[in-house]
Amino acid sequence: MNTTLLTGSEAAAYGAKLARIEVIAYYPITPAFPAMERVSKFIDDGELNTRFVRVESDHSALAAALGASLAGSRAFTVTNSQGLLYMTEVVYHTAGLRQPVVMAVANRALSAPHSRFPEQGDAISQGASGWIQLFCENNQEVIDNMVQAFKIAETVRLPVMVNYEGYIQSHTSEEVEIPNQETVDQFLPLNRVRTLDVENPQSVNTVASPDFYMDYKFRQNEAMEQALTVIDSAAADYAKEFGRDWFGLIEAYQMEDAEHAFVAMGSMVSDARIVVDELRKQGRKVGLVKVRSWRPFPAQALREALKNVQLVTVCDKNIVFGLGGALGNELKSALYGQTVRINSYIVGLGGRDVTSEEIKKVLELSEKTENQATASEWFGL
Amino acid sequence: MVKNLPVVPTAKAGSLVETPTGITWRVQYPVISEKCNMCLDCTLFCPDGALIQQEGKIELILSLCKGCGICANECKENAIQMVPEYSGVQGVFR
Amino acid sequence: MALSIADLPKEELFGQGNAGCGGCGAAVAGRQAMKALGSRTIMTIPASCMATMGGSNLKTTWQIPFYHTLFEIAPAVSSGIRAALEVQGIEDVNVVSWAGDAGTADIGFQALTGAAERNEHMLHVCYDNEMYMNTGGQTGSQTPMYAVTSNMSKGKTIKKKNMLAIMEAHGIDYVASASIAYPLDLIAKFKKAAEKPGFSYIHILAPCHRGWQIPQEKTIEFARLAVESGLFELYEVEDGLRTRNVEPSFIPVEDYLTPQGRFKNLTPEAIQSIQAGVNRHYGRGE
Repeated sequence: MNTTLLTGSEAAAYGAKLARIEVIAYYPITPAFPAMERVSKFIDDGELNTRFVRVESDHSALAAALGASLAGSRAFTVTNSQGLLYMTEVVYHTAGLRQPVVMAVANRALSAPHSRFPEQGDAISQGASGWIQLFCENNQEVIDNMVQAFKIAETVRLPVMVNYEGYIQSHTSEEVEIPNQETVDQFLPLNRVRTLDVENPQSVNTVASPDFYMDYKFRQNEAMEQALTVIDSAAADYAKEFGRDWFGLIEAYQMEDAEHAFVAMGSMVSDARIVVDELRKQGRKVGLVKVRSWRPFPAQALREALKNVQLVTVCDKNIVFGLGGALGNELKSALYGQTVRINSYIVGLGGRDVTSEEIKKVLELSEKTENQATASEWFGL
Repeated sequence: MVKNLPVVPTAKAGSLVETPTGITWRVQYPVISEKCNMCLDCTLFCPDGALIQQEGKIELILSLCKGCGICANECKENAIQMVPEYSGVQGVFR
Repeated sequence: MALSIADLPKEELFGQGNAGCGGCGAAVAGRQAMKALGSRTIMTIPASCMATMGGSNLKTTWQIPFYHTLFEIAPAVSSGIRAALEVQGIEDVNVVSWAGDAGTADIGFQALTGAAERNEHMLHVCYDNEMYMNTGGQTGSQTPMYAVTSNMSKGKTIKKKNMLAIMEAHGIDYVASASIAYPLDLIAKFKKAAEKPGFSYIHILAPCHRGWQIPQEKTIEFARLAVESGLFELYEVEDGLRTRNVEPSFIPVEDYLTPQGRFKNLTPEAIQSIQAGVNRHYGRGE
């Protein structure tokens, strides 16, 4: 295998290049900015025929990407944390207009207090926005998910976020195989859809009366449900072409006879693999379920994957105040009616390290906990 | 039944012309007299594109007119009079 | 060669069947501008009367591609549209963002100043009715001093922000003021703006009879009085050169102000001070 050392930021930039993005608009933010800078370098070096719109804010970044998409171009932006929250209005709007914009998000904790360190709370806050959200466990998955993101977005006509954690992924180099451009071109042909087109004029986002609005929202949600299938098939097609299988909505690892399942998303998954391998060597029946698609939430796939376990331990690098961990909460509702003990933990907020040792400790703690006193327990304080 | 709608919320160009808004509000409409000197000013001052130049005359497209009276107010030749839409005991008079 | 109305295109690209009020100044501005811009134009308009009156559900008055954007993003969206057209090799299309005074000078200012600073190949138009009319007529930065609005019943106590001067300070390709009472001047300015390779800004005074509390048939008349009194100067700035396009006849400002309901609280002293301001601006004796 021909690999290169790439940070998550570089992997996102290479992914955008492979997808032959036509317009990028961004406003620098830490830790997402190296991805933008790398794309700009590709453009400056003539390796990418892409227009760069140097906007004055994150809000305008997505607005410009949206405008480009409406005019029929493949559009991309990059942001995280405060930038993502600042553009939130446009995030929802882009989904409502069904534009296949792809956004890389270098997940970072939200202020206040001010933090520039990794956490998934920024992406979680957009869980009702109508964007498909993929979480990557390593930098190889970042580049592969970037290519798949455009495929999924353009198939169901919804925008996609590709999430990877700030610093842990964005600034850490890993061995990554860069997919072959010709194969990507075949996997991802450009089917141009011009919504704003002088040859076929129409008015976009006309005011919707109560007679229409609900029907539009039904269709939008229907597309999200369609994505459940499309994310799986995109992963399968990708595996066929490129030889790497990311298993669609979720991945069940060492789950055949597992009694205790660890469930997480993002960088924790790669550490959890090490833990599971180690515990398996000790004869413990522990498995791992990786949630790759946070939106749409793969409730059915999770029910299936977790139907035979006795205990589920779920870790969240986010806190939904007054509720608990977002993934823990979603999982409990997905598994409603199934006989299983679910223990939910809040870990690693604002960059607090979650190593494989911590994951091991959480699993041990969970095995000893019969009834959690709160919806989610805080671990690592 | 869910409506069959465009994927992107959109409307086909010019579709309002067939079902113009606002004509039910109209209580008066312009009548153009022979004093008209075809300066065409009214065609650019009308907010609704209801006054157009056709065959050497100014024509009113009544279905588009909201009866605002700008044309009559602006006509330098006093060639446009606003007349009530309705008449009779229940009608509306100026 | 001077423009004549007879030579203008007959096609109605905006306005027919629109959902605006009768006598709407914004609709007049839109119709006049489209006579200059033509059908190969992509228009973005943020939340405003103008966006709303353009259509609802499956109906629209626009005959060109039109996008009703979020309130504060129209110039940013248009920048993205221009980038997309460029990368696709489409060159002969006008890209225009068109906002009210709020979408231009207040909530929309950040995206506007960004696009102007980048000297994007586009035109931004402000149709200024001097208050937030789509929400019922509240005070904004473009509301003139003394005007009574729905949220300032005693009248505004500070001056109107000079958007034309601000946009001129960006050093963009073209800056112009225009009035719906002077359509040929307005149309000529739009034609000029469309020819520029970079950013143009046109600020149109487009009265709203509801907000100004004037009879609906007098929309154009008051737009004219604003110019003739010298309160709204028609000029353009091209390559740093400032040209006045219409010499006002200097009717007393009182003739423009006092018939408007929104200026009902004007004192004789206030009128005097406004008149003095006009006189100073044009270098006229007191």
